[in-house]
Amino acid sequence: MNETYYFIEYFKQSPPIIQVAWIFSAVFSVFIIPLIIYLNYLRWHLRKNEIVVAKYQAEYEQALVHYLYSGNEEEEISSEQQLIIDKLKKCILTPFKRKIVISTLLKLKNEISGEVAQSIEKLYCQSGLIDYTLPKLTSKKWYTLAKGIRELRQFQVKEAHDQVAKHINHPRRQVRKEMQLYMVNLFYFEGLDFLNVLKTPLSEWDQIQLLEVLQRFDNQKIPNITSWLNSSNDSVVVFVLKLAKIYNQFEQKEVLIDMLNHKNKDIVVEVISVLCHLEVFEAKEVLKNTFEQRTQEEQIAIFKLMENLYEINDEPFLLDYIYHENFEIKVSALKILKSINSYKFNFLKSSSSESEFLQIAHFIENN
Amino acid sequence: MSDAKKIVLAEDNSILLLLLKFQLEKEGYKLLIAVNGKEAVDLIEAHNPDLILTDIMMPFISGLEVISHVRNKLNLKTPIIVFSSAGQEEMVLKAFDLGATDFMSKPLSPNELVIRIKKLFR
Amino acid sequence: MDKSTEIILISIIHYLFFVYTIAAIGSYIILAFISAIETKEYMRKNSFVNYKEILASTISPSISIIAPAYNESLNIVENVRSLLSSYYVNYDVIIVNDGSTDNSLEQLIEAYDLIPVEYLINEQILTKPLRNGVFKSTNPAFEKLIVVDKENGGKADALNLGLNISTHKYVACIDVDCLLLEESLQKMIKPFLEATDAKVIAAGGVIRISNSCLVKGGKLHDVNFPSKWLEKGQILEYLRAFLLGRMAWSRLNGLLVISGAFGLFDKKIAIKVGGYDTKTVGEDMEIVVRMRGYMEEQNIKYKVAYIPDPLCWTEAPDNYKTFISQRNRWTRGTIETLRRHRKIGFNPKYNSLGLLSYPYWFFFERMAPIIEVAGIIYFGILIALNHIRWDYSLAFILLAYLFTVLFSIVAIITEELTYHQYKKKGTGKHLVMIAFLEPFVNHPFILYAAIRGNIDYYFNKNKKWGAMTRKGMNKA
Repeated sequence: MNETYYFIEYFKQSPPIIQVAWIFSAVFSVFIIPLIIYLNYLRWHLRKNEIVVAKYQAEYEQALVHYLYSGNEEEEISSEQQLIIDKLKKCILTPFKRKIVISTLLKLKNEISGEVAQSIEKLYCQSGLIDYTLPKLTSKKWYTLAKGIRELRQFQVKEAHDQVAKHINHPRRQVRKEMQLYMVNLFYFEGLDFLNVLKTPLSEWDQIQLLEVLQRFDNQKIPNITSWLNSSNDSVVVFVLKLAKIYNQFEQKEVLIDMLNHKNKDIVVEVISVLCHLEVFEAKEVLKNTFEQRTQEEQIAIFKLMENLYEINDEPFLLDYIYHENFEIKVSALKILKSINSYKFNFLKSSSSESEFLQIAHFIENN
Repeated sequence: MSDAKKIVLAEDNSILLLLLKFQLEKEGYKLLIAVNGKEAVDLIEAHNPDLILTDIMMPFISGLEVISHVRNKLNLKTPIIVFSSAGQEEMVLKAFDLGATDFMSKPLSPNELVIRIKKLFR
Repeated sequence: MDKSTEIILISIIHYLFFVYTIAAIGSYIILAFISAIETKEYMRKNSFVNYKEILASTISPSISIIAPAYNESLNIVENVRSLLSSYYVNYDVIIVNDGSTDNSLEQLIEAYDLIPVEYLINEQILTKPLRNGVFKSTNPAFEKLIVVDKENGGKADALNLGLNISTHKYVACIDVDCLLLEESLQKMIKPFLEATDAKVIAAGGVIRISNSCLVKGGKLHDVNFPSKWLEKGQILEYLRAFLLGRMAWSRLNGLLVISGAFGLFDKKIAIKVGGYDTKTVGEDMEIVVRMRGYMEEQNIKYKVAYIPDPLCWTEAPDNYKTFISQRNRWTRGTIETLRRHRKIGFNPKYNSLGLLSYPYWFFFERMAPIIEVAGIIYFGILIALNHIRWDYSLAFILLAYLFTVLFSIVAIITEELTYHQYKKKGTGKHLVMIAFLEPFVNHPFILYAAIRGNIDYYFNKNKKWGAMTRKGMNKA
């Protein structure tokens, strides 16, 4: 008792700084000990969890393969399959096991196509897994919602279309992306209808993913993209320009040439590259005439286009730019000149004494 | 079935491995399975199989290295079918350069695989 | 001086130390909370990304990996192999041999069937000239590889030549001896491609320590916890810095440094600001501060991103000598960068860069060792004058010590909840133990190195330059 009293007295008599220091030290110690215990528990738990997950996973993998190979011609579901479905139904009552079941199904589904994939989709519905997912579509939490949409896409549940479509302008980018991927994965080009109403920007990352999905399906008819090219959402325009390039949309030639006056310069650069890819010679004349008013990025893109679409009568235009201050433009101009008039090219080379110019000319000559 | 054809199957996805093993054994082949390139190489050296099926992307030793090992180190003519995922076109080309016989892109259809194997053995 | 002014003076000193300590502790606590929020958010967002889907896309933008090498012949062939095995499709690898005096180049030529090629270089940044020129492989399997042999000019100069050579949109600047996981490029490029409102100018990665880990064929096979105290201490230090510190700063968009071992940059902006500074030993920090300053001046909304995933593994110094010289260099790098960009500090024109990041770095990174030493000296004087109150000293030392331990434990828990790299049974004990011991086994040396760095910077300029060309390419 005496000691406690002594400490209290000592504490009371210390200056405030020292009091604060002691209090903090005490608080920190109080935190440290439980945290160390928690850390030990956490490490133990993680290790154990890994083993348990591996065990269930192996079990479900066996069950799934068994299910897939125990069907027969006569019945829609054989009695053996029904047994496995019943077993899974019990497992998925606990969220922990449900997660493992789903990941097992996906692990195979992602790598397989054809009948086997369809059987897995069927199993997803019959085992009742889908009934846990559909309610997620009305969740207030963005990650629950996004997870739900993702799962429906992965198991190709087309019936949820209307409910998923509602989230087109969801404030969270992750939800929007899942919604877009759902549409495109399940409905291909028809799924792109969301572009009509999309107000938020489509990032380059989203664009790449959507294009990857679309390219996976052959023999799909691409819809008319004219209205999207005129979209007020610039990111939609950029995305559709990529579509135009990949799917060789020659019929959009006029629309594209009109777009060379688009107010967004990044879009103009894209348009030039699409026109280059589609080899639209008419565009070149338009661009040559407006060359001086354009930004450097646009000018570089124009020269890239000319490297692909040059003609003999471009020579006078080129000669204006072979000493241009921009390296890329200069190299481009010389490259084209060499192709259309090698005599002139050699003459310029031999009459120049500027070292960088000679270096470029020399390189172009040999390559 | 002593004359059953031996197939080495290398694939890091355990359930796909299981499924293909099931399917191919049903067709009467003898399956030797590996979960990575290293195991595949060991199995090939030990059993001299009639066919090799390998995924391109695997941990530690990739399918490309397996092919290169079989063709250049072991100097075997064993047919090799590679599995590739979308977007690995470049790797598929390399696989052919190294001496792959055929390729199948993922997601793959097990039935189609069986047909191709049968064709190869005909 | 009479008695009362002396007392007032002493208590002012005490209060200054105290305020500094509380401010430091307070800022760490705030950063830890911010990092917790950011980590949770990042993990959630990241759970929706399927890197497999994007990894191989041919529409994805092009990246150049630039790796300067100086006398690395021991491992160069292996290291290049690791760089070539990324899952990303649209990239090339530019190895800049910075005037090595060993047989690095010959080894590369031999291993990768290299032949000299003609290469048109757009010299946007002035660098030391080429020596043996540019090499490419005749083997199509190594078509992504470009090897450039130049005269020695230090790491920054080598990186600049890489910037000139690259024809791609983004550049990943790395140390040649670091081990990149196959999915690194996709993960690092993601923030650049996701940005829709603010332009991402650079992204930094986490550096993990590969000492004692099993590395074969340029790939990480097994993560082990090393046995030396110095190495363990550094692991803990890195966990704290990357998982708590940088994570929080990334949320505040206030990152000032991207480790030279692994960072991805928008090439156009990196070149526009003039590339790496060849006159500093802290070129990795300097370029980020300069790029940020430039964006602020141009009034463009921008972000420096940060990817907490363990993507880049590198050897840390395993002896005190190398360790001290590394930290000495880091200290000088920090001082040089902060001095060069003095006009940013405390300048409201630079927004949070000037009012938050810079001051924080100045007070808690730049000044911390100096204040600590001042404290120790003051403590010594008090002992000498027999003015010391041992109970007061104990209170302060305990406070600082317990806070360090607490912060370390929080960092370890964060690691376990997120990446859980040290899975093996028994490592937990070692982690907790090093949390208690690190203040004794590592910290004194860090402090010593920092002070040496200050002395070298102010009084030993000649040594500084000499050391740079010689050690320009050292690890980490």
